[in-house]
Amino acid sequence: MTETRMTGGRMMSLAGWRLLTRELAPRRRALAFLALWSVLESLPSLLSGLAMAAALDQGFLAGNAAAGLAWLGVLGVAMVLQSLATRNTFPWLAQIVEPIRDGLVRVVVEGALRQAVEHDERADGSVVSRLGRQTETVRNLIAALLRTLRPTLASLVLALVGLVALAPIVAALVAPLVAASLGLFAWLTRALAARQRASVLAGERVAQVSTDLFEGLRDVVAAGATGSARESADRALVAEARARQALARTSSLRTLIMFLGTGVPVLLILLLSPWLLRPGRLTPGELVGATTYLVGTLDPALRSLTGTIAAWGRQLGVLLHRIAETGAVGEATPHRKLRPTTFDLTIEGLTFAYGAAAEPVIDNLTMRVPAGRHLAVVGPSGTGKSTLARLLAGLLTPQSGEIRLGGVPVADVSRSRVALIPQEAYVFTGTLRENLTYLHPEPATADLEQSTIFPAAPGGGSPGGAIYRWSTTLDVLHTDATRGDLDEAVAALGLAELVDRLGGYEARLGVGGPVLSAGERQLIALARVYLSPAKVIVLDEATCHLDPATEALAEEAFATGGRTLIVIAHRITSARRADRILLLDGRSAQLRTHDDLLARSPRYAGLVANWDYQPAR
Amino acid sequence: MGELRSREVDTPGRMLLFSMRRAPGWTAALVLSTIVGTATLLLLPAATAAAVDAALAGSGLGPALVWLGVLLGTAMLVEIVDTWASTAGATAVELALRRGLVHRVLLAGVAGRRRFAAGELSSRLVSGTTEASGLVATVLSIADSVVLSVGGLVALVLIDWTLALAFAVCVPVFAVIIRRFISEATELLTRYQELQGSLSARLVEAMSGARTIRASGTLNREVERVLEPLPELSAAGLATWDAQRRTVWKVMLMAPLVEIAVLAVAGVGVADGRITPGSWIAVGGYVGMAMGLLGLVDSLMGIAHVRSGVARVGEVFDLPDGPGGTLPLPDGPGALAFRGVTVRVGDEAVLEGIDLDIPAGIAVAVVGRSGSGKSTFAAVAGGLLTPDHGQVLLDGVPVAEIRPDQLRRAVAYAFERPALLGETLHDTIAYGSEGIGRDQVEQAAARAAADTFIRRLPQGYDTPLAQAPLSGGEVQRLGLARAVARERRVLILDDATSSLDTATEAEVSATLTRLLAGRTRILVAHRAATAAGADLVVWLHQGRVRAAGPHERLCHDPDYRAMLGAADDAWEVA
Repeated sequence: MTETRMTGGRMMSLAGWRLLTRELAPRRRALAFLALWSVLESLPSLLSGLAMAAALDQGFLAGNAAAGLAWLGVLGVAMVLQSLATRNTFPWLAQIVEPIRDGLVRVVVEGALRQAVEHDERADGSVVSRLGRQTETVRNLIAALLRTLRPTLASLVLALVGLVALAPIVAALVAPLVAASLGLFAWLTRALAARQRASVLAGERVAQVSTDLFEGLRDVVAAGATGSARESADRALVAEARARQALARTSSLRTLIMFLGTGVPVLLILLLSPWLLRPGRLTPGELVGATTYLVGTLDPALRSLTGTIAAWGRQLGVLLHRIAETGAVGEATPHRKLRPTTFDLTIEGLTFAYGAAAEPVIDNLTMRVPAGRHLAVVGPSGTGKSTLARLLAGLLTPQSGEIRLGGVPVADVSRSRVALIPQEAYVFTGTLRENLTYLHPEPATADLEQSTIFPAAPGGGSPGGAIYRWSTTLDVLHTDATRGDLDEAVAALGLAELVDRLGGYEARLGVGGPVLSAGERQLIALARVYLSPAKVIVLDEATCHLDPATEALAEEAFATGGRTLIVIAHRITSARRADRILLLDGRSAQLRTHDDLLARSPRYAGLVANWDYQPAR
Repeated sequence: MGELRSREVDTPGRMLLFSMRRAPGWTAALVLSTIVGTATLLLLPAATAAAVDAALAGSGLGPALVWLGVLLGTAMLVEIVDTWASTAGATAVELALRRGLVHRVLLAGVAGRRRFAAGELSSRLVSGTTEASGLVATVLSIADSVVLSVGGLVALVLIDWTLALAFAVCVPVFAVIIRRFISEATELLTRYQELQGSLSARLVEAMSGARTIRASGTLNREVERVLEPLPELSAAGLATWDAQRRTVWKVMLMAPLVEIAVLAVAGVGVADGRITPGSWIAVGGYVGMAMGLLGLVDSLMGIAHVRSGVARVGEVFDLPDGPGGTLPLPDGPGALAFRGVTVRVGDEAVLEGIDLDIPAGIAVAVVGRSGSGKSTFAAVAGGLLTPDHGQVLLDGVPVAEIRPDQLRRAVAYAFERPALLGETLHDTIAYGSEGIGRDQVEQAAARAAADTFIRRLPQGYDTPLAQAPLSGGEVQRLGLARAVARERRVLILDDATSSLDTATEAEVSATLTRLLAGRTRILVAHRAATAAGADLVVWLHQGRVRAAGPHERLCHDPDYRAMLGAADDAWEVA
């Protein structure tokens, strides 16, 4: 994980700020309405001291109770308006907060998944933390800020306005103290930022460690390592607890700073009262009113303001930065939308290495696989079989040489035409039908394949010359997988028993669903590709968990469908079924038939010999 | 540290007791600061009033100001203590809960994962415990609100009984509104958290299928699929806002009406001379405190959070113990015996009435079609799962009752899809064999034919796992290396070489056969070669032993040959 870098003094990093403004921008209207309601909500703050002073001076202390009650009535009306205003803020709050959460969840899910898919990274457990805790915390923080900070800020300002109107001398004494305490507070937030960041990172570490532990639980137990697993989890847990305690200690300094802006002014005003109450300065009612402003409005507002910013504003900044960082991963997938009309596969001078200095895994490979043929790739581990599979699917870019399908560079070919099934079969939460029709007829919303209508095909339309044509409206012609299609695939791949066991095509799989064995998952992945429009199918040990009979059935189903089948063979029996075998042995590549290889390659003979235990017929 | 039990934390009440026991010092500090703080807050309006009256009267200002200063200073100190103690207490409790939860999941073992997905467990560990640990602070803040509001009311009585009367009329109305709110809020929050959990689980699942998604070019669609519960989550979120809107404004409307009413009564008192002008400020303050009852809405919202957090955490603590007992395992050769072993998942028997003796030191191949119970057989043999009926004996001792640490020193496992644990490749091989050095790790890797590819990685054995591009076969070899890093009397390979090519597998088998001769080996396999190389073949069919014996003998059965792919030989290159 990369270390988060943030601008130390700023409330929020640029990335976090952009994310927030991007999410807030469409809600300007709601924000404007909120601001309007805030003014109405703070009416009692503005009037409290003024009304109290008037009620005393003109009413209760002047022997005119009715006037006093009338002034109180004014305050009462202001309070009624306040509660109505508060009621009206909720729908606007909801309209701001909920879409922001939706937006953030989307950013996190997309960023995490893109990272995993395009950069082939191992699933990072901290993602779960970001999704679960951080987006939720951001939601709560924004809600709290809008619910608390907004009216607080409004009442702080309006109370100061009221104080100036009622007793300018008092306002002149108080304002510098309030300003000083706010200034000190701003200084404190720098220290808080560092603590906050440490705390968030420690929290992510906890999520990552725990997810790794829970995912690998069986291995942990089987290795007898529960003790050490507990210890390593414990280290992350303790580090997080310490980080949070350090944060709390720094936060408590805030109380001291606040005393300067709240406690000191009250003491000061009362200390100066003999002087303030001289004729021509303040009436008794004005002193009571001014004290009301200080004790009743300014004090709570200032506390709430700084408390909110200290506890939430910083945290919001750090969290938004982290989320923005997750979401900013990688560029968009290149658009692959070319659909060749012929499917001969040609490989020329293909060379690939995992890094500039590393030895090439595939070195200057040239070969041709005619459409509809069946090729097996064999060779010891580490000779680049899986690498070749990924190159064939256009998922890796070679250092030199190229792979063309029907004349089109394979990296530009629509992914619906080339299917690569990896060893770890992917079964997702949804019905069996959804899992099977995942690639049928086309990924409906995926990758913008049908978004653009291109001009007429270049290069004319003769069967020999037309290497490819642009995709236009072909997708419209596809229909959904019918029951018949499904049944056919199930029969072809020997899936009937599994479908029965699960209880039909509408059975729910995945989270909360039945436990599937690795072989069953592979069968589902195979049937999914069988139902897809792919013309070239690359099986990267995608049948390793099947028994040999089922594996044979699956390979024959693909081979007889007129599709090109390339199998990274995992059993020699599977290789024997192929028309040709590509033997990769680390130094050279040979493309021959089984018998030919058996006769000429001692290495191949060695591979086959290990199967001599094969029971006789 | 003792083990945390479900019954210690399964209800909010027990969670409270647990929290107090776990962080007694901080809890005491928090209680003390709450009491002192509450008292200070109750005295402050009176002190302010006295100071104002003294200022207005022009006498006695000194002592009144000193008293006010003392109270304001105390309030400040109390607040500092409060900030420290509440965080320290909550983190201590949270830490204990998290440790307990990790321990519980580890104790429950493999069976626990059948109930909760990893993402779900992680979310309960991360957020569930945080919610649950806020209990003490929440309860104290509620107690604080209650005392303050009662205290405020008493103060009103002391100033003038008519003030209290004006206030008392409204209280029952609030109680009704608030009570309705909390039950609704709990329900909404639980629903909200469930939806969040399902989103997490979907994300973890999709990330595990990253390769397929990449090859299919369906990333955008997968994002949408993971986000499917989002509209529902949004709706649940909106519902909580609506619940607040319906309640909070009523409470807010009540508050000013009461306050104005009391102030008006007090104003008349001022006019009569019964109440001083300074007391008028105090009246405002005390009415505000008495109103604090309304602030309870937020605290009660907190209780709703805590309640659902406690429930979510409690469910994990309810996981039963996994296998493991207290019997010591004496030295022995590693003979295994199955006695009437039955394992059920739901109503379905995955293994049924297995009776089998596996003499020490032989290699046993377990074969059968997919779903015949091979992996369950392997799990039961090494005590990862406890049979529902019957038992497995290791050198005469029931496996389920052996002390786990001793059992794990006797049995090693390698799996078809090993989890890569630790930080580096070295770590993952040495995992569970604490204290072994680099040379032993290298030796183990060499035995599993993993040494060569590890050396090709940028940092060799120190390459971080997250950065190592590993194929399925390479991951399997790391798992194998882990299993052979330490000497065990029984080695169980559950399809652990299925991703290896035949040549590498042959190489690995030969090495292992040579090195592990005399050690009991259980090999779950699909390949005929494995069966042929084993001393004994156990053929499982629908959870029962269909046949057991040497490969050569079983080969007479055409069904056996068909199952092992003998039929493949019918296919010849034309």
